[in-house]
Amino acid sequence: MVAEVEKRIVLRDKVAGRRRRMAFFLALPSLVVFVGMGVIPLALIATWSFWSFDPDSYWIKPVWSLASYAELLENGRATVLLRTAGLAALIATASTLLAIPAATVVGLLSRPRRATLLVALFTIPFFTSGLVRAFAWRLVLGREGIINKVLISLGVTHTPVEWLLFSDFAVVLGMVAAYLPFAIIPMVLVFARIEHSVIRASQDLGAGFWMTFSSIVLPLIMPGIIAGFLFVFVVAVGTSMEIQLLGGAGTSSISIMINDVMRVVNFPLSFAIATVVVIFLIVLIIIADRMLKLSRLFEDLGT
Amino acid sequence: MTLDSIVAGRTNGGRQLFTAITALSLIIMYMPVLYLLFVSLNPDEQLRVVVPIHYSLTWYVALLDDHRLFSALEESLFIGFATAVMATPIGLSAAIAYRAMTRMRGIFLLIILSAVFVPGTIEGLGLSVMLRLVRVSPSWVTVTIGHLLWTLPFSVTVSLIGLSTVKPSTVEAARDLGAGRLRAFVDVTLPLIRGSLISSFVFAFLLSLNEHARAYYLVGRQNTLPLYMFGAMNSGVSPTIYAFSGAVIALSFAGVALIFLGAAGRQSALSRRSNQGGRSNLTG
Repeated sequence: MVAEVEKRIVLRDKVAGRRRRMAFFLALPSLVVFVGMGVIPLALIATWSFWSFDPDSYWIKPVWSLASYAELLENGRATVLLRTAGLAALIATASTLLAIPAATVVGLLSRPRRATLLVALFTIPFFTSGLVRAFAWRLVLGREGIINKVLISLGVTHTPVEWLLFSDFAVVLGMVAAYLPFAIIPMVLVFARIEHSVIRASQDLGAGFWMTFSSIVLPLIMPGIIAGFLFVFVVAVGTSMEIQLLGGAGTSSISIMINDVMRVVNFPLSFAIATVVVIFLIVLIIIADRMLKLSRLFEDLGT
Repeated sequence: MTLDSIVAGRTNGGRQLFTAITALSLIIMYMPVLYLLFVSLNPDEQLRVVVPIHYSLTWYVALLDDHRLFSALEESLFIGFATAVMATPIGLSAAIAYRAMTRMRGIFLLIILSAVFVPGTIEGLGLSVMLRLVRVSPSWVTVTIGHLLWTLPFSVTVSLIGLSTVKPSTVEAARDLGAGRLRAFVDVTLPLIRGSLISSFVFAFLLSLNEHARAYYLVGRQNTLPLYMFGAMNSGVSPTIYAFSGAVIALSFAGVALIFLGAAGRQSALSRRSNQGGRSNLTG
């Protein structure tokens, strides 16, 4: 009897061990890609940001210095860092405010078929050219654009409104349109985990829609709201093409600054900027994960 | 399970307000590219929308003479294909590994998803200096490596969603009937997740086709399509830019729409089958 049980335990351990080994081998290819092509390059950049430029080889040499980090604070570079973060926060706020109603319509107010259609509509543009989507705003917002034509024909203005294009307004509009799905998807995932009976109960107890929404739904989807805000923020910090295509002359961002600094071969400085940004983003994601258990949002996918 | 929405009754204007905001979001997401498509069908030099009878493909035909555009397109299609060929199996393997993991699975998923959030410029810069260190000269290979890193998180996610729809009992049935682990996977699991694997492939292909920031640091002498387009968009505006923007957007929309239609078709076929099953149980 005891021997039988022991045999089973041994068997179970064997199965579990084989399962663990299989998991390890199957995880290996993706880990090689992420560590080899993702983590190691970032670690290299972080290390080399403390090296110095070598005028002889037009590359860098292992002379340790903090000069590039001091340079970070010169020539208004700190302003660009802060401005990028501020712009990203503005875009994340606007996207979140638009995404809450959209996710509510998907998760609460639609039948399954329309919910699927809406999720598809919000996801499809992500897989199309971001470059073209940003560029298309030039047609809409330009002097000859559709908005100015409508405004002039309505008599609202006689001359085209100039600040629509090549301005922060155009950048914000272009980025919100581009990154809205990043805010909506985590909220939709959270809505799927809400027990319907909770909402029914609230209605049965006489609460109207707004009461139910503000005191039951909003607190329940708060992790999704914060995750959505963070996703948009993080992506908006890193992008450059909307600013390059729609922003005013001289508008910069972190990515544009890195490209510019690389063009004048100041390698240690561009590595320093990149390091600061990556560390900032990693800390942000780790804090959010600790607070909100972000990885739990995706748990439904794994079981 | 009813087919009604969760909140079906009166909403004191909430439904109307939220629906209006949702419509506004969809308008700012779709209106510019749709407008661009209409403008690209206009035969004049001037940018304007013309009535449908005057639509013409003049600028699309003019594209055929742009050799630099075609070599960039060829390069991008090739890189996109190479990326998708690698991302699909690696993503599937990572998804299976995640499901089999008992410890560390949260960290594993976080590492994989974090690749989406590292700015493309920084990822491209880092890869280019590392490849320089190991003396790999920039070419389609380096761009493909960068794009693999960019697309893999999406392939893993799509594979995870696909695998979660496979009932464990189906695979166990195959195992009980004597199929080995591998045999059960190839004959039962793989056919069931075929749709997800196709989505994973197409998504990886499209994401690579449209990627710009990483490719900027990783290309060799031959530009990819987005790099060529970015150059053209920022130098004098010729109407052909609208035509190739229109072509790129139409192709990507067609690709994703097919995936979603395919998924919807499979889903409704599935629910029809399960409905019929339920009914026959009742009558029998």
